[in-house]
Amino acid sequence: MGQTVDIGRRIELVPLDPYFGDISIALYRQQVDSGPVYQVYTYSRRDGVEDRIAFVGQAMEVLGGMEPTRDGRLRFPCGYEHTMAVKRVFLEACKLDPSQTAEPRPLEILDKKSGLQIRVLSEGAGVYRVTAHGEGKDRERRISFIAGGLMKLAEMDEVSGTLDQVVFPCGHVHDAMVGQLLVRAPNVRAVLREQEAVSSRGVLAAPSQQDG
Amino acid sequence: METSITRPMTGRERVLAALRQEPVDRTPVCNPTSVATVELMDLVDAPFPDANRDPELMARLAATGYTELGYDSIMPVFTIIQESSALGCKIQWEQKDNWPTVKMREPIWEDVDDIAVPSDFLTHQDTKCVLDAISLLKKEYGDEVAIIGKTMGPWSLGYHCFGVEPFLLMSLDDPGKTHLALDRMKEATVDFGIAQIEAGADALTLPDHATGDLVSGEYYRRFLRDLHIELAERIPIPLIMHICGRTVDRMGYIAETGFAAFHYDSKNKPQESMEAVDGGISLVGNINNPETLFARGPEEVSEEVHRNLEQGIHMVGPECAVPLQASIENLKAIPRAVKDWHSGHAA
Repeated sequence: MGQTVDIGRRIELVPLDPYFGDISIALYRQQVDSGPVYQVYTYSRRDGVEDRIAFVGQAMEVLGGMEPTRDGRLRFPCGYEHTMAVKRVFLEACKLDPSQTAEPRPLEILDKKSGLQIRVLSEGAGVYRVTAHGEGKDRERRISFIAGGLMKLAEMDEVSGTLDQVVFPCGHVHDAMVGQLLVRAPNVRAVLREQEAVSSRGVLAAPSQQDG
Repeated sequence: METSITRPMTGRERVLAALRQEPVDRTPVCNPTSVATVELMDLVDAPFPDANRDPELMARLAATGYTELGYDSIMPVFTIIQESSALGCKIQWEQKDNWPTVKMREPIWEDVDDIAVPSDFLTHQDTKCVLDAISLLKKEYGDEVAIIGKTMGPWSLGYHCFGVEPFLLMSLDDPGKTHLALDRMKEATVDFGIAQIEAGADALTLPDHATGDLVSGEYYRRFLRDLHIELAERIPIPLIMHICGRTVDRMGYIAETGFAAFHYDSKNKPQESMEAVDGGISLVGNINNPETLFARGPEEVSEEVHRNLEQGIHMVGPECAVPLQASIENLKAIPRAVKDWHSGHAA
């Protein structure tokens, strides 16, 4: 009698999609023999919704360096789950204006806070080194902070004895994902606060806790 | 020797039996408050805020609690604002992903003499929506599951209509006036409750937010116990009292009111709650919302369900209105855990 589906563990939700009639879109994780796979899904039955879901999936491929499976789901080529990172990639894909084409982001940004040009270099085996160029203040601190931001956003590990190098636990290269996360890494606290605020919407508060 | 085969109880029979503390074939899964989520809204195309104002949408969304989640009850009154809107409070209707709220910083009453239940109270869009939705659900599902309505108690209406702080200050400064205010506001509770019974409700949730963080157990005894006894006498249907927060200190008083059940919060442990009510009332709850149902997985949901069942809690369900972003998977884990537990214990 039910119409709900069992497609694994829901790991992220966009409750209101401004680009498609305020529907909710979710990211589900399933475990298959080859490792974790991800599925973008909505319960909405509105006309055209399949195209919207397909767009988000394709955007995740580009922004996160993911690949489609034969049955239309997504996975990382390394076979690792990268839970935090895939959630962020999903959220960014949902934010992307569907009239635009998804493009991988460069491994370079201007850090507005310091005025430094930040470049991230792939050192192989999943290791990335954060570097800073140009005139700017707090060079060492900003490098360390941005490396820490990448660690938080992508559950990366620090390379022992360094403040500027981080490594993916899978030991594989993920340039697209790092490019995507690098945009948020300088403001990681704001990103996490925003995420918390979004997820706390819709939790009913007792009258004493309401600010209406 | 032949053994007779008994048919399983319907959800409705199960819930109503548990409310009377009579034997059941398994513990009912009962939601005295909302289980609506944004995904269920999409599934049946009945989004907030419209699903709080249009009876067809309200009924359609509420029915998913049974048709999709497999609960033994359907509860269409998702919000706590329906009657306050009809009383004249300003409402922040919000979007699909958030709860409509009463603008309590813009109270409509300042003094007891301001209290008036409008003549169109039961025909106002937001109360009539509930009545019509209950009628629709009764017709469609009335033989299968318990249809649970909701009427807000006078303490909650006091917060909404006077504002939280002014109402609490009045209770400190002038207890006599507060009793009078509660006495007048309770008529709205009774009228809306009886109208829902006439529409087809099998039971009513009666939230009265004398919550643990604001009001002590002694306060409850002083201001609300006798009033709740009167409500239980005047509204002729099983009533499920709902108060959020830590409430063990007042559960004994609540058990004396004549209410059929108390919908209890996860801030209270099942064992201490069973001891506090001492058989005087059924308990329903208390699966945690913000941590377990919202942020964790089915395994943790099952563990909480089992902790309730081990202590003999009469009905299991979420502790309060579930977060609108809760996952369907977690909500479905509740009935599955109840059935698994009973299978294990039958064997």
